[in-house]
Amino acid sequence: MIKAIKTSVSEKILFIFLILLGFFSFSFFFIIKNKCLFVESIDPEKIQFTNRQNIAIMNVECGNVIIELNPKLSPNAVERFKYLIQNESYNRSAFYKVIENTLIQAGDLEFGNIDNINYYKVGSGKSGLGTLKSELNESFKFDEGSVVFARNDEFNTEDSEFFITLKKIPLYVGEYTPIGKVIYGLDALKKIKVGNKVQYVLRPDFINYFKLLE
Amino acid sequence: MRLLLILLLTLQINSLKADEIFNLLKIPNLEVYKLNSSNGLKYLNAKKNFKIGFENNIRCNKTNKKNLDEKSFIISKNLSIYEKDFLNKINLRFVVLCENLYISEVNTAGIPDHKKRTLILDINFNEKYFERVIHHELFHIIQNKFESIFDEKIWSNFNDKAFEYAECSTCSDRLGLDLYNETNGFLTEYSKSIASEDMAEVFSFIMTDKLKIKNIVNKDSILSNKIEFIKNGIKKIENFNL
Repeated sequence: MIKAIKTSVSEKILFIFLILLGFFSFSFFFIIKNKCLFVESIDPEKIQFTNRQNIAIMNVECGNVIIELNPKLSPNAVERFKYLIQNESYNRSAFYKVIENTLIQAGDLEFGNIDNINYYKVGSGKSGLGTLKSELNESFKFDEGSVVFARNDEFNTEDSEFFITLKKIPLYVGEYTPIGKVIYGLDALKKIKVGNKVQYVLRPDFINYFKLLE
Repeated sequence: MRLLLILLLTLQINSLKADEIFNLLKIPNLEVYKLNSSNGLKYLNAKKNFKIGFENNIRCNKTNKKNLDEKSFIISKNLSIYEKDFLNKINLRFVVLCENLYISEVNTAGIPDHKKRTLILDINFNEKYFERVIHHELFHIIQNKFESIFDEKIWSNFNDKAFEYAECSTCSDRLGLDLYNETNGFLTEYSKSIASEDMAEVFSFIMTDKLKIKNIVNKDSILSNKIEFIKNGIKKIENFNL
């Protein structure tokens, strides 16, 4: 005859502990690990734009980023930027340089594509279109979400790389060629992967696609 | 092998913390001191000690707040005489202030970098000649940008044929900054180190002690030629009356 064995208090505590452990593990893997959880989804179709021909949509891991381009400030730079977007050159371009809460940089077409990234040379690639003359403007304020062409130490070396500021940087006024401003989706950019105390990122996040609204 | 190289790359970059200033100037540990100067110069100071250059051969220490406030006032007062257009032409935009600046273990007043449009200044350098040294260092930026105007061979020909400059400014023991009583073609001992330092010394006296320069012109034909050469060179860059 088999006797029913009552569970002891310690066994009950262990059982509850295992259930809680399972619950927290599930939370960590499927909820907290999702870095995009609290990022608002931006649907460009639901937004009324007054300047549709100068609206660009960059899709990253956490959603859409809407950029309003400013050809009045820097016509040649914006023309180059639009050309590269239309040619899908920026698609899968890595955010290889990220300074935490400060700026994110992408657009190395030669060495910075996520499918074939060259960690030794990234940042030195060329588009093949030649460099542009800097179009500097002291009136362009470097607020959060400023989109500008990157350059090397000297002016007139802008090509295809660009960066977006994640905070106000008044020091940059008059230093870089402005392209436009992020008008929606800055939170998605703030979730871009940061290097561990470094500005260059291993296995970086990247642009899924970049397109013009029209 | 590839992973090892990536690891090495990571470790190499790991040694410094990047920020927006480092991204622009490639000098770590700086903070903004003043951005709104009348001629567009942007002043930064070292918030921590920093090392830069080939094998970190340039080093400078963080600034003390009181010292920084005192010296930056003198520096900005002296640099305010240069107008924005002139500074744009010579490629000077950023002034980095730090204490005890050394290059290859030799104490120096300043290090110009016209490509990055930056002048690093040691705010502890020589109290006696502090103001004059500011203009001296600024001249190096001018000369770096306009090498053909301030040609060292033409300059050297002003000297007596028997005279020879040293091979470099740091490999000479001609370091005195006091004005000679008998100039004989050179304002200071340091003028005799190399041609570019000689030019910078002449320029710095023109900017800070016009009266002495006027007296010297009448007595020293070599220096008279040198002063005229500097003045004409500056006029070629900007209609800037020295």
